[in-house]
Amino acid sequence: MGKNILFCAAAALAILSSCEEWEPVYTFDYGTPGTFKEYDDASITADGATFIDIADLAARYKVGRGPVFIGDNVVIKGKLSSSDRSGNIYKSLYIQDGTGGMEIKMGRTSLYNEFSEGETIYVRCEGLTIGMYGYKSGSGNGMIQIGFADPDPDSDYDTSYMDLQLLVDQHVFHGAKGAPVKPAVLTEDQLPNKESTVVTCPYLGELVTLKGLRYGNEIFALLYLDSQLDTKQPSNRIFLSGAQWGVTTWAMTKNKMASYLESGIWDEAEVGSGATRLGKVGDKEYKANNYAAIQRAAYSVSQYFKMGKTDIQIRTSGYSRFCDYEIPADVLDGSRTIDVTGILTLYQGSIQFTLIDYDSIVYSDGGAMPAILK
Amino acid sequence: MIKKLSLALAALACSLSLLAQEHDGGVKGTVINRVTREAVEAAQLQLLSGAEQVAETTTDESGNFLIPGLADGMYTLVITSNDFLQSVVNVTVNDGYVKNMFNLSLTPAQHVEGIDDSSLYEFDMDDSGYNDNPTVLFGSNDIFNEVAGYNFSAVRFRTRGYSSESQDVYLAGVKMNDAITGYGPWSLWSGLNEATRSKDVTVGNEIAEYGFGGYNGTTNIFANATSLRKGLRFSVLSNSALYRLRLMASYASGQKDNGWAYAFNVSARLGGNDWVKGQYYRSFAYYAAAEKVFDDANRLGFFVMGTPGVRGKQNASTQEVYDLVGDNMYNSNWGYQNGKVRNSREARTHEPIAAIKYDFMPNEDFSLSATLLGRFGRNGNTALDWYDAQDPRPDYYRNLPSYYYMENSDYKRIDRFKYAWAKEVWTHDWVYPELTHVNWDRLYAVNQSNLVDGLARSKYVVEERRADQLDLNFATTAKLKVNRFLTLNGGIDAKVNRTEHFKKLHDLLGGTYYLNVDNFADRDFATDPGKVQNDLEYYMLHGHAQTLLEGDKYGYDYYAHVRNLNGWLNASVAAGNFSGNVAAKAGTSTFWREGLWQKGLFPDNSKGNSAKQNFFVYAVKGGANYVIGGHSRFYANVGYYEDAPVFNMAFVSPRTRNTVVDGLTTIKTFSSDVNFQYSNNGWDFRITGFYTTIADQSDVMSFYDDLQNAFTNFAMTGIDQRHVGTELGFRVPLPIPSLSLQGAVSYGEYVYTSNPYMTQTVDNSEEVTIKDQIVPYWKSHPVYKEGATELTDGNIDHFQKHYVPSTPQLASSIGLSWNRNYWFIDADFEYFAHTYLDMNPLYRTDMACAGPDKTETAEEIAYMAAQEEFAPYYLLNFSIGKSWYIQRKYQLGFNLSAKNLLNNTSVKTGGYEQTRLVDNTVGKERYYRFDPKYFYMSGFNYMLNIYFRF
Repeated sequence: MGKNILFCAAAALAILSSCEEWEPVYTFDYGTPGTFKEYDDASITADGATFIDIADLAARYKVGRGPVFIGDNVVIKGKLSSSDRSGNIYKSLYIQDGTGGMEIKMGRTSLYNEFSEGETIYVRCEGLTIGMYGYKSGSGNGMIQIGFADPDPDSDYDTSYMDLQLLVDQHVFHGAKGAPVKPAVLTEDQLPNKESTVVTCPYLGELVTLKGLRYGNEIFALLYLDSQLDTKQPSNRIFLSGAQWGVTTWAMTKNKMASYLESGIWDEAEVGSGATRLGKVGDKEYKANNYAAIQRAAYSVSQYFKMGKTDIQIRTSGYSRFCDYEIPADVLDGSRTIDVTGILTLYQGSIQFTLIDYDSIVYSDGGAMPAILK
Repeated sequence: MIKKLSLALAALACSLSLLAQEHDGGVKGTVINRVTREAVEAAQLQLLSGAEQVAETTTDESGNFLIPGLADGMYTLVITSNDFLQSVVNVTVNDGYVKNMFNLSLTPAQHVEGIDDSSLYEFDMDDSGYNDNPTVLFGSNDIFNEVAGYNFSAVRFRTRGYSSESQDVYLAGVKMNDAITGYGPWSLWSGLNEATRSKDVTVGNEIAEYGFGGYNGTTNIFANATSLRKGLRFSVLSNSALYRLRLMASYASGQKDNGWAYAFNVSARLGGNDWVKGQYYRSFAYYAAAEKVFDDANRLGFFVMGTPGVRGKQNASTQEVYDLVGDNMYNSNWGYQNGKVRNSREARTHEPIAAIKYDFMPNEDFSLSATLLGRFGRNGNTALDWYDAQDPRPDYYRNLPSYYYMENSDYKRIDRFKYAWAKEVWTHDWVYPELTHVNWDRLYAVNQSNLVDGLARSKYVVEERRADQLDLNFATTAKLKVNRFLTLNGGIDAKVNRTEHFKKLHDLLGGTYYLNVDNFADRDFATDPGKVQNDLEYYMLHGHAQTLLEGDKYGYDYYAHVRNLNGWLNASVAAGNFSGNVAAKAGTSTFWREGLWQKGLFPDNSKGNSAKQNFFVYAVKGGANYVIGGHSRFYANVGYYEDAPVFNMAFVSPRTRNTVVDGLTTIKTFSSDVNFQYSNNGWDFRITGFYTTIADQSDVMSFYDDLQNAFTNFAMTGIDQRHVGTELGFRVPLPIPSLSLQGAVSYGEYVYTSNPYMTQTVDNSEEVTIKDQIVPYWKSHPVYKEGATELTDGNIDHFQKHYVPSTPQLASSIGLSWNRNYWFIDADFEYFAHTYLDMNPLYRTDMACAGPDKTETAEEIAYMAAQEEFAPYYLLNFSIGKSWYIQRKYQLGFNLSAKNLLNNTSVKTGGYEQTRLVDNTVGKERYYRFDPKYFYMSGFNYMLNIYFRF
C-alpha cells in the first residue's frame, strides 16, 4: 500500500514538473552565451533589401518640407564614428559612409556598451522617418537624422527616438568590427554654410578635425527658473548669450551651475526673453535666499570659437563627464589655439561641433588639454 | 539512582506488569480525541518525576492506559500521539491510590503537519524600500490560533494588525528576532519541521515562562533532543505553490538508559512550482541534538541546526504588466540564458545556530535554566548590478506601453505607434522572451564586447548583498514557587551582535573584471575620481579603484554593532479561581555603525564608529484570570512597553555614512486585551477584545530611483498607530458524530494616528533633499465638500483615515471538520476584507499634492494622498488525511490539502507604491503617481504529504 502511494506520488511529480525548474536545482550551470550577432552585406539584404548611400537617403529630405517617411526596403551602411561613453552624445549613434553622416536616433542609453567605434552598422530604413533637427526658417539648416515620425504635432522635432528595444532590434544591426574612423581634417572653406546639407557638404554628421580654433569670448546657454514649469514660456527663461558670462568650463553640472549662479557673475542676465522681460538675475526677487527662485540643474553650453573668420560653437552637454573642466587660461586669453575632433553639425545655420570625449581637444601647438577643476 | 532507573526502564520495556510492586499508587485514564471524543489508540505516555522519566506506556485500542506501582508524589504526564499536539498534565498520587484521570483529551494536529514555515517566504521587495515579513501563527491549544494559523497564513494575515517584528520568537529560551531588523527568524530553521515542532505559544500580552514577551505573543521552540517525537520518520511532500519536492527524515532516540538522548532531522526542498516561474528552492536543512539527563536536578542539552540553501525569488510588478501578460504571477526576476531559466534574485544563505542549554531543577519549587546560543554564517541576496548601462529589468517603466500612450492628455504620452509595439511585445511574452524577461544573453554580450586594454570590463554583474551575523546570546530564567499562592519567575538575557554588511561580486557574467567605484556618484562626479570611490583609502594607496574579481567585496562594507541587556521579573499569584500576575522588565539597547571603508563622497563620516545610540528600555505588564465553573474563564492583560528602535530604522543611509535619523527615540506601546474562553466536551470558544497604541516608530525606506540614478532614502520618525479590534475562535460539535463546525474571525481597525516627520537623502549626494519636514497627509487626508474650491477647514467634508497596510483588517473563516478513525476531512470558507496598500511618505507631502504650480487643490489631495484598499475576496479550502497503523508498530499516513479551490487569481496580498512622481505634465498644474506594484496570491494549489514512521 505504502509503496503504491509513493510510486504514484513519484509519477505525479515527474509529470507535473518540467526540466526548466530543475536546472538550477542541480547544476547552476547556464553556460556562457556568445556576443552580438554580426551581419554582413549578404545577410542583411537576404530579404531583397537594397543599399542606399547616406547622401542619397538624406537627399529625400527637402529642407523646410518636413519629415520624410521611408516606405521602401533600403539599407544604409556606415561606420560608427561616435560614442556616448563620455556622455556628451546622448541616445544617438552617428554613422558615415563616405557620402555623408547620419544621426540614428536610438533612444537608448549607454550605447557604447553595444556599439563600438569603427564598427559597421546597418540600418534597415523601411518604416523609419528622416528629418532635420535645428532647422529654422530664415536662420538656416540643421542636422539630418533618422528615427521615427514624431507623434506630437506641436513638436520642434521632425523625428522621435526609436526608444523600444524591439524597434531598435528591427532596424539597427551590427556589422563587422573595424578600426575607428579616421577624421577628415577640414579647412575653413570646407566648412558648411547655413544652407548646406549632406548632399552639398558631405562632412556634415561626420567625424572631422578642426584645427587652430581661437576662443571667441562668447557662450550660449538657456536656463530655466523652474524646469517643471513650461520651458517655452519666455518668463521661465534666462538666456546667457552674446558674452562669456564668466562661464569658463565646457558646460556645467548642477553643482557647477550653482557655484556660477551664487558667485553673482550672472546678476546682469535678463530673466525672461523677447517681449517678456521680468528683470535681472541680480534683482532682489531672484537673488533673495541665495537665488532660491532659480532652479539648479545641469546645463549644456555652447562655447564659441573662431576658425579663421567662421564661428564654431563647441556645444557640450551638462551631463558629459568632462563638462566641468576649465578651458585653460591660455586658451581663454587667446594666446593658444586648439584642435578639436568631433561630429560636425549645423544648428539653425550655425556650425555646432560635438566633442566625442575630452581627449578630442588638443593644443594646436601640441600637448593634451590639462584637466582643471575649479 | 540511575542504576535503579535503568533497571526500572528495562523492566518496563519487557512488560508493565513486571514493574516493581513496592508501591500501590498509580495513574490510569483514557486518552480521547478532543474534537470527536473518540479514543486515541497507541498514544505514548511518559511519566516524569521532575526531569526523570519514571514510566512509559501506550494506550490500548480503547485509548485506556494504566501506570501502576507509583510512590506518592507529584508527577508530570506527557501524552504524545502522532497526529495530535503534545499534552502535559500534572498528576498527584497520594495515599497509594491509583488515580483515575478519566478522559484526557488531545487536540488533533493534522493541520500543523502540512504547514511549512517556508511557505511564509519573504517577498522580494529589495529595491522598493518596503519590507513584508510574515507573522507566523501556530496551532496551539488556543482555538483562534489553531484555525487562523492554518487558514490565514496564505493571505499574509498579521495578528491584530501588528508587524511581524513585534512577535517574539524564542529558540531554547533565547529571543531570536533579528538584531538588526527585528524580523521573525523563521527562515533560520525552515525545513526542520520535526526539530522545531514542539513549542510553547502565548497570545497577545501574555507573559511566557521563558521570556517577558511583548504585545504580539511569544513562541518558544524547544529544539532539545527529548522534544522530538521518538522514532524514525520519513516524509515526502509535494506542493504546487512553492517547491515541487520535500524529502525529510528525522530520528529521535528518546531518553536512553544512560541518560542520553539524541535527535536528528534533515530535509531537502527542491524545485519550482506551478505559479511563479523562476521561483525555486534548492534548500537543505540539518539538525542534530544531544541531551544528557544527569539526575533529577541536572540536564544538559546541545544542538546545532542550519539551513544551507538557495532560493529563487519572486518580484512585484505593476498591474499594467500583469494585465498585458495575462498573469498576476508574472515574475520579472528571471530570464533565459542559453535557453535556460535563470533567476537574477536569489537568497543564498547558511546561518548555522549552535546552542547549549542547562536545566537545573533541584526541587519542585525551584528551577533554573540557562542557554548560550550563537548564530553565524552567511546571509546573501543576489541582484543585478550595473555600471553605466541600460536598466536590465524587463518591466522597467520605459519598456511598457503606458510610457508611450495614455488616455489622459495631461501626461503628454501620445505615441500610439510605440504604444502598439510595446503592447505587441508584452501581450506576446512567449514570442519576445528576451524583452519581457531578463535578457541574460544580452548582458553577456555587452560584457564580452566591452574591451578595455584587451580585458572585458563587465557592465552587468550579479551582486550578492550580504548581511553576515555574528550573534551571541546568553539567557537565563529561573522560577521559584514561594508558596502555594505565589510564584516568581524572571530572567536575564544578553545579546552581542556584529553584523557585517557588504556586497560581494557573485558573477561577472562573462566579463573579466569589475571596478569598485560608486556607479551612482560616477554620473554626478565624473570629473572628480576621489568622490566616486567606495574605498577611498585603496584609491589613495594604489592610485586607482580596486579591480574586482568574483568573490571580492565591493560597494560598501560596514559593521552593525548591537548590544542588548535585559532583566525581567514576574510574580504570579493563584488563589482559588483567581490567578494573576504582574511583571516588569528593564534593560539597555545600544547600537552603532562601524564603517570599514572610507567612502569618497563622505570621507569624514563613513569610516569608523558612528555615535553610539543608547536606549533605556523598560516594560510593565499584568494579567488577571478568573475561572468559572471549571470550563470557562475570563482573563485580561495590559502592558506598557518602551522598546528601542532597531538598527535598520536608525541610519539615514547605512550603506554610505554614519548619519543617524534625527529624533530617534524609543517606541512606546500601550496594549490591553480582555478575553473570555470556554472549553468543554468538544466545545471550544474564545473571544477577545484588544486595544493597542504604538507611538514614536521610525522607518527608513531605501529604494533605487532611476531618476536620481541612486538609492534614495526616506527616513520617517514619529509614526503612531492604533489597533483596536476583536478576535473570535470557536469549535462546536454538530449532531452528526465526529463532525464539528469551526471558525475564526479577526476584525479590527488598525490606523495611523500621527503625521510623522520625514528626511530624504540620496546615497550619492551630501545634500539632504528634504529635512525634517512633516508629512501632513500621512494619517489621513481631508475630503472636501463637492464643488469646494477653497481649501478652508470649513469646506472639509470629512477626513479619510489611512490604515496600517498589508494585512486584512477583517479575516474570517468558517468550516466543517470531520475526524474519525484516523481519517480527517476539513472544508473551509474564508472571507477577507479591508487590506490596504503600503504607503510612501512622498505622496502625502504638500509638495506632491501641490504639483509644479505649487498650488494644492482638493482634487490633487484626493488623488495623491489616497490610500488604496484592495478588493475583498473569499477562498475555499479543502483537506483530507488518513493514517494507518501497520502491525501496531509502523504508521503510514498522508494528508492532502487543496487551497483556493475556486482558483481565485486576483487576490492581492501586498505590494507597495513606487516613490516617484510623473512631473512633466502638460498642464504643469499637478503631478501623477507612478503605478504601484503588487504581489498576488497563487491560484488553486495543492500539497500532498506522505509520511512513514516507525
